[in-house]
Amino acid sequence: MNIIETKNLSKSYGDFTAVSGINLHIPKGKVYGFLGPNGAGKSTTMKMFLGLTKPTGGSFTINGKKYPENRMEILKEVGSFIESPAFYGNLSGEENLEIISKILGLSNSSVSEALEIVGLTPFKKRLAKKYSLGMKQRLGLASAFIGKPPILILDEPTNGLDPVGIHEIRSLIRSLPEKFHCTVFVSSHLLAEMELLADYIGILNRGHLLFEGTLNDLKHMALSKGYPTDHLEDTFLALIDGDNQKRGAE
Amino acid sequence: MKSIFLEWKKIRRTGFFPLFLGGGIVAGAVPIIHMAVRSKVYLIEQTPPIPFLFYENWQMMAMVNMLLVVTGSSLLYHLEYDHYAMEKWKSLPMRESSIFFGKVILTISMSTLPLGMEAGAIAFCSYHWFEVGSSLLKELWKSFAYAFLLMIPCILLSLLLSEACKNMWVSLGIGVICLFTATMLPTNNFLLSLFPFATNFQMAASMDRTKIIYYIYGSALESLILVLAEFLLIKVRRSFT
Amino acid sequence: MNYLSLVMIEFKKIKSSKVLYIFLIATVILWIPSISNVHLNFTMENQGISPENNFFIQGFMGMSWFMFPASMVVGTVLVTQTERANKGILKMLTLPIGRAKLCLAKFIVLLTLGAIKIFMAACAYYMSAALCSATQNYNFILPPFFVAKEIILLFLSSIPMIAFFWALSVCIQVPLFSVGIGFASIVPSVFIINTKVWFAYPMSYPFFLITSEYGKLAKNLNTSQAEPIPFIPTAIFITVLCIAISCLCFGQDERR
Repeated sequence: MNIIETKNLSKSYGDFTAVSGINLHIPKGKVYGFLGPNGAGKSTTMKMFLGLTKPTGGSFTINGKKYPENRMEILKEVGSFIESPAFYGNLSGEENLEIISKILGLSNSSVSEALEIVGLTPFKKRLAKKYSLGMKQRLGLASAFIGKPPILILDEPTNGLDPVGIHEIRSLIRSLPEKFHCTVFVSSHLLAEMELLADYIGILNRGHLLFEGTLNDLKHMALSKGYPTDHLEDTFLALIDGDNQKRGAE
Repeated sequence: MKSIFLEWKKIRRTGFFPLFLGGGIVAGAVPIIHMAVRSKVYLIEQTPPIPFLFYENWQMMAMVNMLLVVTGSSLLYHLEYDHYAMEKWKSLPMRESSIFFGKVILTISMSTLPLGMEAGAIAFCSYHWFEVGSSLLKELWKSFAYAFLLMIPCILLSLLLSEACKNMWVSLGIGVICLFTATMLPTNNFLLSLFPFATNFQMAASMDRTKIIYYIYGSALESLILVLAEFLLIKVRRSFT
Repeated sequence: MNYLSLVMIEFKKIKSSKVLYIFLIATVILWIPSISNVHLNFTMENQGISPENNFFIQGFMGMSWFMFPASMVVGTVLVTQTERANKGILKMLTLPIGRAKLCLAKFIVLLTLGAIKIFMAACAYYMSAALCSATQNYNFILPPFFVAKEIILLFLSSIPMIAFFWALSVCIQVPLFSVGIGFASIVPSVFIINTKVWFAYPMSYPFFLITSEYGKLAKNLNTSQAEPIPFIPTAIFITVLCIAISCLCFGQDERR
């Protein structure tokens, strides 16, 4: 069963088309990797799911709920991390999470749990503006994980983290569906990362969905089209390059 | 020279220029609307136009000018602090003070825009309602050159406050308090009226020569002190970071 | 979550902003000249106002014409900048909470800041009046009921103005323009209170009403008084319009 589905979802800004009629199918209880070079339209798609930007065409449903009619119900079920972390610099990490937990109507223990999950407990009293880049990233992730929502939308969550941090967050995301029975929709521009993380992947380039399926499906598709398959990175690059050439200077 | 050019470039698309232009229009509109509404009452009084127009309107015009300076200087430093651009500047091989002086020169040059528009408005009023024209140019020029000189300490202090406060609303808040304090200070007490924001309420049009010279000296001295304060601020900040 | 806790969250966001210190400094500066010039209150025979009434009303007139409106403009900057500085607003918009609700909660914070500012001025008034009573050997202290009536009037009259400033800061994304227009709109209120259309200009309400109170207290002065019609309907209309516009525009820019 698909928990998120889109139907010809599009977004244009004037002449520029950021997302062009994509049909995504995100299965429940899996990690879905959303892959594409910078500017492919990944963040725009995720923002549409959160109601942060209005689609200019098509539609989507999240857990059977339609946007825009059920925007509030959708937001109640989604934990999100979009673009760079968003927080209040004059408040401590703990206070930032307290605000979110109150709005979501969660128990007091949810804050300490979220802090613990991302490893921020020792720094919970420090003002968020004094956090390092990695800590800000962790705070952003904690604000997504808080209350263990059934759906997580994470936009490049490992940006700015050190190798140890990347590994930690990656393992955490990997374990989430099993631990909390949730679905994770995560974007990245690194195929190597997705290989370790995702059950399903969708590849986006210049707003078009080039591929959707498992990693094995991707390999089969690459073989059939004559793309290199020894390293997935090469497959990805060949796929994007082929699409760019096809579209030319569009 | 380079730093002024850089400062000019930084304010692109921030609304800094339209702010001063809009402020100039508002301040310039003050005497015109005032005369349009109440000219009948005023024209009965046989007074020379420039001192009269200044006496009736200058307090409000000077307030607009100072609010422009306070808002403008808060913005100039908000740009630096908002996305940590200041940290980048500090890591470049340039004097920290040159950023400040670049902003000072930019604000001083920009303030000539509203002052020029205000001078135009006063000239229009004298010509239109008092029917006196070119003979007043010298007096007009003198009055506005004086207003311009007295504005310099106010610009320096506003920028200094904005540099010291990283939050835009704090520098705005302190600026507003300073301006409010200035409105409460008696204009006839020389020492008190030397407060950088209060000097701007002084008018050359109704003042004798010695007093004008005193105020110019006072402003120059204040400017010098504020420049020294800028160097001190840089030193103090360095020793705390 | 009930509405009160949402408002409390909004207060939490401006915690450690030191806005109260700024208000306090402004209030102290407001009353210092009144204390130092206290003897002038005994020379108001021409106006026909008693020294204690003059002492009180002059201070509040000084506050209502510039200091109070300007503080409120600064307050709106504080509230909006806290939200925009680290994209806190973006997080809020992804939470299941209505934009209009959030916008109203912020407006309530702003109104509370206004109320605190007026309350501070009233406390400072009592302290200054007590001090001057001691130094001048004359009772400057007015009955609390009268003072309470005046400050409630001042607060109520400032609601349309605060709603206007709030709408400005929500609708105009460049903080500079909303602040610039806010400040620029305060200055002409001195003019406008002397015209017949003062009731159409919310920035002049607090100053107009306090000035007319001055007129009531001074027997020999004849200041214009507020006629309930068209003043009250216009004030309500402006307030509702500004609040509606701000609720519609709130978070719109972040949702493009």
